[in-house]
Amino acid sequence: METTQATEGGGGGATGIAAQMEVEAFRRLFPLPFYKRHLLESVRPDARALDSARDTTISLGPVASADGSALVKIGETTMLAAIKLEVMTPSTERPDEGSIVVEFYMPPICSPMVRPGRPAEVAPVISKQLLDVIRSSGMVNLKELCLISGKASWIAYLDVYCLNADGSLFDAALLSAVAAFTHLQIPLVSVTEEGRVFTVSSEQEEKTKFELVNKDKRKLSLSSIPFPLTSVIHEDHILVDPTAEEETVMETSITLVLDALENLVSVYKPGGVGLASTEIMKECITRTKRRMQELKTILEESVSVMEVD
Amino acid sequence: MEYVNPLTGLRIDGRRPTEMRHLKGQIGVVSKADGSALFEMGNTRVIAAVYGPRQVQNKAQQMNNNEALVRCEYSMANFSTGDRARKPKGDRRSTEISLVIRQTMEACILTKLMPRSQIDIFVQVLQADGGTRSACINAATLALADAGIPMRDIVTSCSAGYLCTTPLLDLNYAEDSAGGPDVTVGILAKMDKVTLLQMDAKLPLDTFETVMQLAIEGCKAIAQYIREIILQNTKQLECRRGS
Repeated sequence: METTQATEGGGGGATGIAAQMEVEAFRRLFPLPFYKRHLLESVRPDARALDSARDTTISLGPVASADGSALVKIGETTMLAAIKLEVMTPSTERPDEGSIVVEFYMPPICSPMVRPGRPAEVAPVISKQLLDVIRSSGMVNLKELCLISGKASWIAYLDVYCLNADGSLFDAALLSAVAAFTHLQIPLVSVTEEGRVFTVSSEQEEKTKFELVNKDKRKLSLSSIPFPLTSVIHEDHILVDPTAEEETVMETSITLVLDALENLVSVYKPGGVGLASTEIMKECITRTKRRMQELKTILEESVSVMEVD
Repeated sequence: MEYVNPLTGLRIDGRRPTEMRHLKGQIGVVSKADGSALFEMGNTRVIAAVYGPRQVQNKAQQMNNNEALVRCEYSMANFSTGDRARKPKGDRRSTEISLVIRQTMEACILTKLMPRSQIDIFVQVLQADGGTRSACINAATLALADAGIPMRDIVTSCSAGYLCTTPLLDLNYAEDSAGGPDVTVGILAKMDKVTLLQMDAKLPLDTFETVMQLAIEGCKAIAQYIREIILQNTKQLECRRGS
């Protein structure tokens, strides 16, 4: 059989660069057998265990011109989220609530699959997922975005840009959105006699003649922060935090989102060849719980680093 | 408004008239790309990624079979400017800058060595504070070098202006929107040839020459910096390879 021959050829004789090339060729030509051989040893090509996620880093405030921003890296996957606040008139049905608009972009720099004129298929999907999770988790209390009931409230434009797409895009995007909201600093605002609301920069704080509307309300109080974990399934093996290659080869992914109190916020398994039995689902939930603790620690550390500065 | 303080001679951000902003360049920021770079000029921050040479995707665009096709797309992040931009790409300014960057890089890439292939240069502006065009070209040069694409020379670009009767190097956004002239120059560093030259607003001819010379000096300084980065990167690669 072709597969066995290739296996033998790859395992056999030549040393040095020739052997390296044979492994690379095998990886490209027969990706599934390549991964199967790794799964037998319960390891992955980048030497991770099946249930360990890649190194995650969060950096708050990289974009100085935005009201809140965060840069998140999970392995090589990089997401930059930024929030800009603008004043708007709230709707008549909800006069004391602001609103959040989420947009997710995959510019052509992030992946060879994305080209101008041929946008990435997953981008609008992730955009919708982000919006749904942020809304349903109740992380941001929209009433906190209100300035003057019925007259003025904040609309938060959250833009998430993917700078490098290497798998687990939703995880990194949600984490960057959460981190950006944590970093968000609401600008000072005051009202003119005609009722026009305008923002006041911090230097003008003492000099302004008009009343400052929200002097004490500068930061959002976030409750039940959602933490995600994406895994791929292949025949009873669960691989946590897949790279782009693993996602393409294994084809079936599950995304679970838990909040800090271990409530299930979202489950997303969009079809796929692999079927998930109840045991697999339970196993995924356990892994997500563990990951949630890891991410919580990382987020808290990054916040305390920022506060020290 | 006083763009150059008459007493101290300093600009609004504390620089001297012939002083450039702080430069920072980093290679290899996007691992999925064949070549990538992050370039900062003061508060202007830009990422460039190069994919190629790869197969031509749109045969209709391929004019000449004997040369590589160079494509470029420039886009700004929504949060890059002070006010949130509604349409980050596809608007006239982005299309014009994409064209300018493409033609500037086409001048230096040895396209005849890679027939029937395509080289894509994508530039994303993360923070804009004046001089985005120049930062994009500098980032694209670094990214092309990282991708190992054969080039005639390093292309660098810098802008200069003329406010309060003083030639100023490397304008930031406030100085650029002051309404004075803005000269952007792109040169091939070693060959000392000008490939990009754009100017708007009115300038008397001899002032124009002074301002253009200043911009060219700026370009040469950037070229020096870029050369150092590429050299450092090559040394690192050599170390990793173990030779």
